[in-house]
Amino acid sequence: MDKIKILIVDDEVEFAEALAERMEIRGFLMETVNSGADALAAIGSTCFPDVVLLDLKMPDMSGFEVLTVIKEKYPSIEVIMLTGHGAASGGSDSMKKGAFDFIMKPVDFKDLIEKIQDAYQKKISTSS
Amino acid sequence: MIKFNEKLMQFFSSLFFGSENQRSYKRLRIMLYLAMIVIFLTPLILATGLSVREYSKLLVQQEREQLSWNAMGSRKTIEAFVHELRALVAFVASEHTYDELLDQGTASKLFVDLKEHYNGFVDLGVIDPDGIQRVYAGPFRLKNYDYSGQDWYDKVLADRIYVSDVFMGFRKIPHFVVAVSKKMPDREEYWVLRLSINYDTLQQYIATISTEASHDVFLLNHDGILQTKSHMFGDVLEEFALFSRPKKGEISMNEQSYEGVKFLEACVYIENTPWILGFIKKSYIHGEKWNSFRYRQRLILFGCGALALVVIVQLVSIITGQLQEADEKRNAVMTEAEHTDKLASIGRLAAGVAHEINNPLAIINQKAGLMTDLLEMSNEFQYKDKFGKSIDGIQNAVERCKVITHRLLGFARRMDSALEHIDINALLGEVLGFLEKEALYNHIRFELNLDDDLLTVYSDRGQLQQIFLNIINNGIDAIGKDGTMTITSARRDEANIHVLINDTGPGIPPNVMKRIFDPFFTTKKAGKGTGLGLSITYGLATKLGGNITVESEEGKGTLFTVILPINPKKREGSFHG
Repeated sequence: MDKIKILIVDDEVEFAEALAERMEIRGFLMETVNSGADALAAIGSTCFPDVVLLDLKMPDMSGFEVLTVIKEKYPSIEVIMLTGHGAASGGSDSMKKGAFDFIMKPVDFKDLIEKIQDAYQKKISTSS
Repeated sequence: MIKFNEKLMQFFSSLFFGSENQRSYKRLRIMLYLAMIVIFLTPLILATGLSVREYSKLLVQQEREQLSWNAMGSRKTIEAFVHELRALVAFVASEHTYDELLDQGTASKLFVDLKEHYNGFVDLGVIDPDGIQRVYAGPFRLKNYDYSGQDWYDKVLADRIYVSDVFMGFRKIPHFVVAVSKKMPDREEYWVLRLSINYDTLQQYIATISTEASHDVFLLNHDGILQTKSHMFGDVLEEFALFSRPKKGEISMNEQSYEGVKFLEACVYIENTPWILGFIKKSYIHGEKWNSFRYRQRLILFGCGALALVVIVQLVSIITGQLQEADEKRNAVMTEAEHTDKLASIGRLAAGVAHEINNPLAIINQKAGLMTDLLEMSNEFQYKDKFGKSIDGIQNAVERCKVITHRLLGFARRMDSALEHIDINALLGEVLGFLEKEALYNHIRFELNLDDDLLTVYSDRGQLQQIFLNIINNGIDAIGKDGTMTITSARRDEANIHVLINDTGPGIPPNVMKRIFDPFFTTKKAGKGTGLGLSITYGLATKLGGNITVESEEGKGTLFTVILPINPKKREGSFHG
């Protein structure tokens, strides 16, 4: 079975790297970028992720904007939103825009792994 | 003009509310009393004064006219009486010749006949052209008395027929004379027939014409000497102190004052006599009508005044009461608005703080997780267990912080309005999480009796939190210290979920129970409660399609039941208000 390719997009470098390292240990293929622009530049050129973990609140481009572009250009890529903000509307709005799910920070690691696997399953079933 | 208006407004504002901007209800009440008393009573007093003046004038006018009619009527009566006497004397003189009357027997018989006709005659005399009384019939010895020098004798020769003043004369009693002069048949000389009439006759005649319209009636001569007796001004032949000649043919009317008494005087000439008829009317407005009018008027004045005072007191009480109530409501709304603003600010602050803490927490969490992963992969080394336990400690601490930040975010979310499927038991847990410390400090125990098989309700999380937070908070306030609050969730019918919140507080008296959901009704001390908490709570519950009922027993406690529909029918203006 192919390794699941995951791109973490988060301006919190320490968080992104720690999370990526932990997931690599569990057999995921990880890439990290720290802004929305970098993410959009990487996807399709240097990085071809199955699932994107996308922070909702970032300084240059918001997670919403990045999500919109990703779903327009690469509808097969599943996106899970990460948010440290309390607005429930943030999560539900992003799901309306095509996100697979959203998860609150600090992330429950087990929960995150399960959601990534669900998202990957969805991607595979949609592609086939 | 604008400046004047502003100054006027400032003046009234300072008058009614005091120099400071804060409203003084006592001052306002006093000023309103004064203003309304002036507004109500001034027209009443003015109208009363005006009616007194006008009615008094009307009565005076009426009495003057009445006196005038009486004087005219009485003058005509006296003139008729005098005319009759003159006609009688003229008739006797024309029916008898001078020679016939010189016979004492004839004269005496004639006098007796006349006296039978009119008892007032005192005597009869026939006077020759030289002024000597040739024949006399009467009670005095006046035969051969010489009248040639007397005033009345000269007047009768000049006027042919004459009525004299009342005078004493030879008889030394007051009397008057009616005399007629007749030409001698054979020469240009005149003899005179004279009849004397007793003054009493005139007095009695005057007494008969005295009416209720006057207090005194009398006769005067042209020199102001009383010809009959006056009750006020003295006896016959005394001088009338206030004499002033009237105009010929007119009734003269004067307001006079005599010995401190005010009165109205009417005078008129009696034709063919030397007399003036005088009428006196004392205190002419003190009639029965006037007294009755004054009595009724005072009754109306005091009645209306008393009624006006009662109305003023009630009106001022209502106005100031409503003003005070409106001010209190406004202050409560302001306080509530400030409170809401504060809550909103706290909400925003909480959301910001939670977000800022969540990010480093997430880093700590992942770093700790990574450390655990690495520890699991590494070989045994000294302190490996201790590292593992420490990392667990870090992760537990992160979990605690996560609960706190999520709770803060949940609080912030109450400001938003969104419908979602809500697990009521979990929501109750969140609400109790906010209050558990306060309950702990006050020795209040939460007993939970939650139905694990409850369906979720489709509702607004924030508004539901507010409903339960308000009710449980009120329960904690009611218990004070040492008590139990039992919270039960159950599905008692198909459509609704029931949440029962039962406290062991002192209970609610029936009079308070009636108004428990009224806006601005509070039993808390001033500044402690706005009286809006339960009102808003009830409003929220009904907006969400539910209801709240209360049962209470004094001394035992209170039970609030919140009924929430599982699938509420959407109503206009609901949920998102």
